[in-house]
Amino acid sequence: MAGSLILTIALACSLFSMVMYYLNFRGYQNTLNYGRIGYHSMAMLVVAAAVFLEYNILTHNYALHYVYSYSSNALSGGKLASTFWAGQEGSFFLWLVLSSLVGVVLQSYCSKRGDLEPRVMAVFSLATTFLLIMVSPLFKNPFAAIWSEPIFLSIKDLNPAFFNLPFMQNFQFTDQQSGQSFIKMNSDLFANLSGAGVSLKEFIVNGKGLNPQLTNFWMQIHPPILFTGFSMATVPFAFAVAALMKNDYREWVKHSFPWVLAGAGILGLGIMMGGYWAYEMLGWGGYWAWDPVENSSLIPWLVGVASIHTLLVQRKSQATGGIGKFAKTNLILCLMTYILVLYSTFLTRSGVLGDASVHSFVDPGMLVYLFLIIFIGTFIVLGFGMVIYRWKYLSEPVPSEEQILSRDLALFTAAIVLSASALIVLVGTSAPLFGHSVDAFFYNQMHIPLAIIIGLLNGLSLLLKWNTTRREDLLKTSVIPIALSLFVTVLIWVVGGVTDIMMLLLAFSAAITLVVNITIAFKIIRGGLQMLGAYIAHIGIALFILGVIGSAGYTKQIDVNLEKNVPNHALGYEIIFTGYTPIENATKYEFNLSLKKGDDNYKISPVMYISEFNNGLMREPAILNLVTKDFYVSPLGYEEDDGSKGNTVTLHKGDSKDYNNVKITFNDFYFPAEVREAMMAGKDFEIIANLTAETNGKKEDFKVSLVSKGGSRTMTSADLKDGNVKVTLLNLQATGSVDLSLSSLDNSAQNLPKKSKEVLTITASVKPFINFVWTGVLVMVLGFGFSVARRLKESFKR
Amino acid sequence: MKNKYIFGGGIITIFLAIMVYLFSQSNIQYESNFQNVMSKDKVCKATGSWVKSKNFETDKVHRTFSFYMVDEKGNEMKVVYNGTIPNNFESAKSVVVTGSYKDGYFHARDILTKCPSKYQEDKVKSSSL
Repeated sequence: MAGSLILTIALACSLFSMVMYYLNFRGYQNTLNYGRIGYHSMAMLVVAAAVFLEYNILTHNYALHYVYSYSSNALSGGKLASTFWAGQEGSFFLWLVLSSLVGVVLQSYCSKRGDLEPRVMAVFSLATTFLLIMVSPLFKNPFAAIWSEPIFLSIKDLNPAFFNLPFMQNFQFTDQQSGQSFIKMNSDLFANLSGAGVSLKEFIVNGKGLNPQLTNFWMQIHPPILFTGFSMATVPFAFAVAALMKNDYREWVKHSFPWVLAGAGILGLGIMMGGYWAYEMLGWGGYWAWDPVENSSLIPWLVGVASIHTLLVQRKSQATGGIGKFAKTNLILCLMTYILVLYSTFLTRSGVLGDASVHSFVDPGMLVYLFLIIFIGTFIVLGFGMVIYRWKYLSEPVPSEEQILSRDLALFTAAIVLSASALIVLVGTSAPLFGHSVDAFFYNQMHIPLAIIIGLLNGLSLLLKWNTTRREDLLKTSVIPIALSLFVTVLIWVVGGVTDIMMLLLAFSAAITLVVNITIAFKIIRGGLQMLGAYIAHIGIALFILGVIGSAGYTKQIDVNLEKNVPNHALGYEIIFTGYTPIENATKYEFNLSLKKGDDNYKISPVMYISEFNNGLMREPAILNLVTKDFYVSPLGYEEDDGSKGNTVTLHKGDSKDYNNVKITFNDFYFPAEVREAMMAGKDFEIIANLTAETNGKKEDFKVSLVSKGGSRTMTSADLKDGNVKVTLLNLQATGSVDLSLSSLDNSAQNLPKKSKEVLTITASVKPFINFVWTGVLVMVLGFGFSVARRLKESFKR
Repeated sequence: MKNKYIFGGGIITIFLAIMVYLFSQSNIQYESNFQNVMSKDKVCKATGSWVKSKNFETDKVHRTFSFYMVDEKGNEMKVVYNGTIPNNFESAKSVVVTGSYKDGYFHARDILTKCPSKYQEDKVKSSSL
């Protein structure tokens, strides 16, 4: 309750701040301080609420619906703390927290640069207002009490001491399929518990837990970075609207530049971290699957990067006076970056992609859906309404002569190509809205030519001067880089064995980028590190493209069955499965492999385990990093064949099955009314299946049963000594059949020596140059860092 | 300014054309009625649920994984996937398979499983009636 209250006050502060800042813009001098106080109060309240939620998570307060749904006593430390953003409510809240903090920095930044603050902060606090409404009790409130909406709690999460309270049986339910018992938690039960003097904290002693795929280091770092990128995308939008409000398009370029660069750097890092997570932990086999959730954060990034290129032109061309070139383009790109972040949120949170994504959230309900539409709609109308309103000022002719061979035009083309890429991903990702879907090959085919253009532009454009370049000059300067790149490409063709013409073109264009940027970087390195940003970022992109060519185009993959201690050969390696070792208190198992190539020996261990969370088999890959390539092993399954030829059969009433010369017949269930009642009430019960075994004409009746005691179920088995058969009950079907496991008795007996054959099945693959993908991105982010430092200094200049 | 429009317009037109072509090539429709899935041999994304009672089979020799799916109207079909059982399949309720129906079964080249907790709650609700 306290959390919701804090957030509600924060919402009021945010609105107050927005209005005060706006009034200040309209000429009321004394409201500026109120705006500041409002914003800072909001930010402090939001942080306080976040600390409060984290406190509830760390102290396992399962009286909160959110805490119950995503954490459990089994989690601790960073893993427990990261459940803060494991669900929809928390990830919206994380976005809000980071936005509020970004706003604090933004406020301080703006207050030092002319009259920016009231306009920028009025728009920014509109964004925080919307996020605050999102986490308010109306929509996705992380502080909702567990009884506020009916929820079924598994009895294993509850304190059994209270089960004998008289009203409790009205809330008990049993799922007949799984035999699990639940308590329906709602406001009635809460009222009853309060009446009996039982607090929710005493009653609910454990939570549902976190999906094991999220229980790792990357969960602790990837979402905060990604959401910082999302939060920073609000800033260029605010600057653009601020410029439109004042009808001044000169200053905003240099003011927003550091923010656009920093935002793109951080968002890019966040996106690729998600890719690395998928590759290293989740065993997708690759780092990018064109999944809607991945795509929807890539789209705003592409548009943001496009805007960097045209902002640069506008800034340079302002030197001759006027607002500069591409003023409209820049405003629209900066507006679109944030609008696309909102659209991406809509796609992944509204449930519209329900069937299309691996990790899209479940349908959050009509209200949230409508609210998301209003959220996006408001920002579209605000942004584009202002652009249309100011159109005639923006169409002011720019005095400049333009040539084909100018850096301006090359930069503009880069922005167009990046926008085209964004458009392709947008169309593909939005297709499920219209009942369609596209294959990964749609994205891949479209991006190969785009990447080639990006590479060529990226290299050759840097040889062009601003405004105009003479053709002969270009030829002279480009001879050496082109020759070097051709040499590299031929090397890739001959030594690397790459024969696909598109791949060679792509390699050539990436090589040009690399050569030109490295050359220039070396030339200017003496002039000071600050100027290096763009070149470093472009070197990063070139490395990234080379890495993608190698890893995506030339991965070799094979499935192998590995019998224990028997050497196998795959992809030029000798692989031996040497057995498994339990790790993390025997909750997981490492399957040890020793690899041998020539004189080199390596050891890697993929992991498999049965997760209690969803009763599913979880697999974690193992990677052998060999600098020029990765040897990647995904475990598929593990079987112990104990030689008894175990057999699973389903028998309906009256059916028979022969096994080891024994005829086994299923007669009927023993399931009288009192057992049925006990089962419905969640008490202990036993359901018996009556069977008959016929061995050499001799009939013998026997039974197996399902026993439920204290909520946990066991299946019994029967040993038929005469026929040497062990019959184990696997499942009972309400329709009147049983699943049985049949095995011969002497082999399944514990005391006999094991003649077992242990087989591990894996998918092994060699991924060449995948390290270039990661280094490429890191180098690119470093480049963004250098550029931010430089542009930050410039933003002070008059 | 003229050059800007020629360049931009040219690139955008070319890419729109390629995109429309590729989109029509790789366009796959969602299909929740298995009678439609079985009647045509076009690639589609069939959505339905896994028939748990019929279990699943893995064929180690041919490296296939097969199971039965049922749509909302109760039409059942066998699905065969060239590969092994996907992560999380055991707890999946709702399944989306991409492929086409041929020779009496659905040849899947991709399986997407969803196991939201929502379903567990649904199930409990229905059994308490």
